[in-house]
Amino acid sequence: MVTAVEFCQYILNGISQGCIYILLASGLTLVFGILNVPNFAQGHLYMIGAYFGFYMVMSFGMNYWMALILATMALAFLGLLLYKFIFYPMRDVPEVNLFVAAMALLMIIEGAALFFFGTETKWFVVPYSRHVVTFGPFALPLQRIIVILGTLVVMIALQIFIKKTMIGATLEATAQQREGAMLCGIKVTSVSALAFMIGTGLAGIAGVLIGPAVLLEPTMGMGPLLVAFSAVVFGGMGSIAGAVLGAFILGLVESLASGYISATYSLTFVFGIMILTLLFRPKGLLGREVWRP
Amino acid sequence: MPVLEVIGLTKRFGGLAAVEDLAFNIQTGELLSIIGPNGAGKTTLFNLLTGFYSPTSGKIIFNGIDITGYKPHRIIRSGMSRTFQLTSVFQRSTVLDNVIIGQMSHARVGLIGSIFGIPAAGREKKKVIERAKEILSFVGLEDKRDKIAAGLTEEARKRLSIASALATEPKLLLLDEPAAGINLEETSGIIDLIDRIRKTGVTICLIEHKMKMVMSISDRIIVLSYGKNIAEGTPEEVANNQEVIKAYLGVRDAAQS
Amino acid sequence: MKMPLFTKATAWLPALILAIVIPPMAGGYLVSMLILICIWTIMCFSLNIIYGYTGQLSLGQAAFFGIGAYAFGLLTVKVNMGFWPAFFASVFIAGLSGFLIGIPALKLRGPYFILVTLGFSVIVGVVLVAWVDLTGGANGLAGMPRPSPVPLPWGGRLTFDSLLPMYYFTLFFLVLIMVFSHRLINSLIGRRFIAISYNEDLTESLGIDTMSTKILSFTISAIMAGIAGVLYASYNVVISPEMAYFARGMDVVAYLVVGGAGTMAGPILGTLVLMAVPELLQVIPSLKTMINGIILMLFLIFLPSGISGGFKALKGRIIRSRTSPYAGS
Repeated sequence: MVTAVEFCQYILNGISQGCIYILLASGLTLVFGILNVPNFAQGHLYMIGAYFGFYMVMSFGMNYWMALILATMALAFLGLLLYKFIFYPMRDVPEVNLFVAAMALLMIIEGAALFFFGTETKWFVVPYSRHVVTFGPFALPLQRIIVILGTLVVMIALQIFIKKTMIGATLEATAQQREGAMLCGIKVTSVSALAFMIGTGLAGIAGVLIGPAVLLEPTMGMGPLLVAFSAVVFGGMGSIAGAVLGAFILGLVESLASGYISATYSLTFVFGIMILTLLFRPKGLLGREVWRP
Repeated sequence: MPVLEVIGLTKRFGGLAAVEDLAFNIQTGELLSIIGPNGAGKTTLFNLLTGFYSPTSGKIIFNGIDITGYKPHRIIRSGMSRTFQLTSVFQRSTVLDNVIIGQMSHARVGLIGSIFGIPAAGREKKKVIERAKEILSFVGLEDKRDKIAAGLTEEARKRLSIASALATEPKLLLLDEPAAGINLEETSGIIDLIDRIRKTGVTICLIEHKMKMVMSISDRIIVLSYGKNIAEGTPEEVANNQEVIKAYLGVRDAAQS
Repeated sequence: MKMPLFTKATAWLPALILAIVIPPMAGGYLVSMLILICIWTIMCFSLNIIYGYTGQLSLGQAAFFGIGAYAFGLLTVKVNMGFWPAFFASVFIAGLSGFLIGIPALKLRGPYFILVTLGFSVIVGVVLVAWVDLTGGANGLAGMPRPSPVPLPWGGRLTFDSLLPMYYFTLFFLVLIMVFSHRLINSLIGRRFIAISYNEDLTESLGIDTMSTKILSFTISAIMAGIAGVLYASYNVVISPEMAYFARGMDVVAYLVVGGAGTMAGPILGTLVLMAVPELLQVIPSLKTMINGIILMLFLIFLPSGISGGFKALKGRIIRSRTSPYAGS
């Protein structure tokens, strides 16, 4: 029996899930737009962010917010290293080799995580992670509210950065027209490195934000990666706004499917939506047709 | 009957109309040139005609059949072929292999037959090779048959891409800037080739920027600007058209002239 | 586009002879490892068709492997089908899955296609674990049969309960698939695959239905992966969702790229090197994926054409002209 309260509860959960996907999908779209690299490892970077925060807080007793900032910086720095040692040296190779490299990166992180973190799940405990906020008949764990607020803050900051600063404008210009940007004298290398850092940084933030609200395990990144990617397809490839919109909607859909159909198969459901999108409306919601030569 | 009819053809990307409400015909056997400033929508038009883009609205009728929305391979099989602005050949293959691939749409090939090597497959192979050699002689590349395409000059590559397109046995051939990036002598070679293609009965539609070439070989010219058809007629008519001059030189300069 | 069978067909003959003659002298451990190497080489050939020759990187081969294995398991254990009917039915099911997922997936290019195949692989993994009633969940299925005994012309029967006959059984399929691959690639259909991998738009503009051709390639590769899955299920008698895990699909990519994608020797070299060497060095299993990833990354940066490709380059194959395979005939 469907109750309004239940429904709204799922919506609330879905919004917080959607926020995580928004962060991941934005990172995916940004990196793909500028570097033409589909960062398959985005989900695993998110997982590393979560574990990093976990160890900082649980093993070193760091303050949660400090850990959040530190994790973001660490992941961004990791992004810089990845760009410098892997993707920059490979900038002139045939496209498909870049894709395989992104996959190899996924394998390396996957293997390392399994080895170092082990397969048992871990509980990321933060002073207020047990605190549940209730308003009326609805309840939402405080952590999930933090996720929503955190995502809002980050996305607004990102928008300001892109629209109001020189570097941000350069980033956007390069994302839209790489060759044109090069002709204008924009240092594509620096911009690419920055884009990659932002991409991995976003994954790190997502990981630490959601960490206290879920169980940590080395495979926690695959599901969100697939949903984030489905969001990019569903929202329309080539459109950041589409990715954000798609991520938000799919977060809701996943939550509803999880509640009403089955939690185990919610990912399958979301993936199915992507397949249907491909079959019947390949452009997605806001997508533009792919430019062909 | 015109070989091609375009009715109300429009293509939007987001809010921008790359091509708007285009309407024109191509008569059998003629050579029609499409000209216009950069970004006018010429290549977009070719992409629409050959099915690489699907129109936002409008119709394309080829030899009496409405081909709007057909996939590219189907359009090519029904007799319309094209070359690309950025000369496209199979870089890693030989010149001969490039043209052999061009014939595949006509070769009768079955999966089982190919794998088990039945005699009919072998005979088909022979036919395909002979025809490829003929086409290469026709475009003047027979001495480069076994060269790897990547090692060719730009002009030879252009001839090769035309050869591959000819291998599909088109009734209408769309050439996208066949003389771009080659010198005067090479250009007259290409003009000669286009002329010989016409004599075999193929209708040709050309995008070009080299005005002397366009003026000398075209039966009719269509001028595009910002996606719209701003002039249509014989080379003389178009050359004297005020709208055309404005479009190319900009309003300010036209006012000053 | 000449596709030389490594050097010549005669180079393979000694290898084949060794493959037939050596194992009886080897211990059981070595033979079981050889069986697994054969099975994973078949997986590499499967990937070689869709990626090496048609240029579409599929991370979903493990899914078809799992579907083949589980279909076989369910048909033999729960429905009590005989070995051969179950074999063909399972391979058909794997191929059908490839066909069905290929239709939406191949509408996408490059990374989007890759991610759809990855997603499919993850989903198959989820279903295999979650649908406990059907698949036995994380515990998997047990009791798959070996091939039915074959009556011998000189009396008696050949049973496949021991390792050595099972090895020859898998070797037989490996050779079959190799020969099939070679003939396929050198046929006109194979030329279409290769043309697509070189330049898909150009191929389409020459009148070739690239979508149908890609779907055919993908389906064939799914069938091959399905065969590998059935062979594994039959050999191992026990199957679990772990073997269809998406990381296995990535391992196959690593084997193929390291060995040399788009060549006939690549699948064999890559699988041999990346499977046999860690075994011999007693590498901890949990580190294998990471090591495969590192080796793969190194190859991508320094030798992207793989061992086989590198070999060809060494032999001075950077040539300006060569005879078309057709011109002489």
